[in-house]
Amino acid sequence: MTFGHNPARRSTVAALSVVALVGVAACGTPESEKESSDAGPITIGISLPLTGDFSQPGTQAKRGYEVWADMVNEQGGILGRDVKLKITDDASNQDTVVADYTRLITQDKVDLVLGTFSSLLNFPASAVAEKNQMVFVEPAGGAPEMFTRGFKYLFFAQQATAQHQADIFVKYIEGLPESARPKTAAYPTQDDPFTRPVIESMQKQLEGMGVKTVYSEVYPADTTNFQSTAVTIAGKKPDLIAQGAVFEDGIGLVRSLQQVGYTPKMLFQTSAPSNAGQYSSGIGEANTDGVFYTVSWNENAETPNNAEFVKAYADAYENETPAEDAADAFAAAEVLQKGVEEVGSIDQTKIADYLHENEVETILGPLTWDETGAPQSEFLLAQWQDGKVEIVGPEEAATTDETIDVKPEWK
Amino acid sequence: MEQFLQALVLGLLIGGVYALMASGLTLVFGVMNVVNVAHGATLVGVAMLTWWVWNATGVDPLLIGIVLVPVMFGVGWVAYRGVISRISTESVSMSVLLTFGIALTVEGVLNVVAGNKFRSATPSYFDESLRVGGLILPKAQVYGVTLALVTLLALYVVLTHTWTGRAIRATSQNPSGAALVGISAAGTSALTFAIGTATTAVGGSILSVLYPFFPASHYDWISRLLGIIVLGGMGSLPGALVGALLLGVAETMTATYGSLQWATVVFYVAILIVLLFRPEGLFGSRLREDVA
Repeated sequence: MTFGHNPARRSTVAALSVVALVGVAACGTPESEKESSDAGPITIGISLPLTGDFSQPGTQAKRGYEVWADMVNEQGGILGRDVKLKITDDASNQDTVVADYTRLITQDKVDLVLGTFSSLLNFPASAVAEKNQMVFVEPAGGAPEMFTRGFKYLFFAQQATAQHQADIFVKYIEGLPESARPKTAAYPTQDDPFTRPVIESMQKQLEGMGVKTVYSEVYPADTTNFQSTAVTIAGKKPDLIAQGAVFEDGIGLVRSLQQVGYTPKMLFQTSAPSNAGQYSSGIGEANTDGVFYTVSWNENAETPNNAEFVKAYADAYENETPAEDAADAFAAAEVLQKGVEEVGSIDQTKIADYLHENEVETILGPLTWDETGAPQSEFLLAQWQDGKVEIVGPEEAATTDETIDVKPEWK
Repeated sequence: MEQFLQALVLGLLIGGVYALMASGLTLVFGVMNVVNVAHGATLVGVAMLTWWVWNATGVDPLLIGIVLVPVMFGVGWVAYRGVISRISTESVSMSVLLTFGIALTVEGVLNVVAGNKFRSATPSYFDESLRVGGLILPKAQVYGVTLALVTLLALYVVLTHTWTGRAIRATSQNPSGAALVGISAAGTSALTFAIGTATTAVGGSILSVLYPFFPASHYDWISRLLGIIVLGGMGSLPGALVGALLLGVAETMTATYGSLQWATVVFYVAILIVLLFRPEGLFGSRLREDVA
């Protein structure tokens, strides 16, 4: 049976494309030297993906910034002035984020800006800041492309760029006795600027150590079905599966591997396992045992201000534990704060120079940057053990010295 | 050969669920000339509701879906009477704008009420599989597709064997003719929209078991479902079924024999090719207006 009496079918197509056409492109004009009035609060402009695809991490980043601002204001502000955040929603859209930062800088004349979430949005946003000579400290956005543009005002407030995110895991494998190391490995990864370089660089390093690659595939972000992938991977029986997983895809592949009945000896996933409760409820808590991932922050780390941050966050948000994205945002704000305080004024160039030359203590640990704004430290290696997350490396940050070297079978 | 069969079976299992999800969308378009962009948001809303009831009571999510059918029927009826009916004489582009607005509203409400988090229902069988010969059939997928096919069959019987169904089809084929024999266009439209929305009760509950979701997931779903009904022919129920199965099989075959990277693209390439030769889609009918 066929339905339809539509005289205007063509206009349907036209109407659908209207939906896609939401977004405004804008271009920035260089900011002349800002005369910072010493009275009144310091305004910090931020555009975040509060709706759309990145709304989840975007909302966490907003909370991280707000907790930071409240804490700073309680302690008398920066340079004796209160801090005021001006946060707008870019709807996870690249055009909107450009328009937002342009407006914040040129029309609202904010004193400082802080970065947004994801490489996708930070890439164009940082260009607006650079053009206007504003320091741009970003809490996320470690894709290699970010740091090949020779920007002087860009700083990434995590320990390492994406290519170096898994170095610590490779080191861990290197430290295992020869017989315990994986001999074969499978590398499925989402085509995402933050996961793909992690996995590709890990693959290269492990191949260098003699780990044979039996599967290596990139899948687009809208992939939802992983059963056939799991069947293919299981057929190759890899010792290690290292997946560049954002979130749903991480849950999807693990569930499919469970359905197929294949447990690898080692399982590494990028971001997915860091979403504590959502990850364990998605795949079953018992099945998390032994899963590795790298992460920028841990709630139990003994870094300056970390305990205060966790407490302030819990007080503000119904006793929840902060997500990594909230902690990263807090750290980005700490970096900017340190720069301003050390320079003693809001002079963007001097702040940038300071950050290029000095180490800054954050809740993530100490951070330093090279001339492109790429950070020079290393991530934390985390592992799910008994339904909890433990940090197993590097040694000075570890919460336990036990590691699960062979992943137990799916329950 | 076994690899081929495995990919085929998995593809059909995936496609069967897609078919149910797309059925309400194509029905509403065919009868009412409304492109319901909020269909994906309704699915995600039902998934959230299912998850919540499942989490609180432990009742099987698919069973919850069946119970929600009359509820969603009511929601659809009220939505039509309250909002959609106001644009019944407007162009189809108005329906896109209106329902897009509804989708954004649903997403926003879910964000506030349920929180911006990923969820997925994990009943005991979610990670288990049936094994037939060497083939692996994930239980959740098998149960989901069975329920989907039963629902589609019920929908088909209602449309072909009841007076209500005949009235709906008559209105779809010739609204003025239907009006002449005493069928109320407004009443039929309300009923169609209610039935279309009722299908999301089952579709959404299956979604909650098979796929992790969060409030903004509806964008992915609506684009996939629109792709299916454009390929099948907008307004055609068999078209939606065939389009959905093709999408499922194209995905698994490409993932198995080609590259995973192309798995989702292949389907859209297939749409382009089909539309080149059959602008009305596989099962769509060509109207005088289209030819002119």
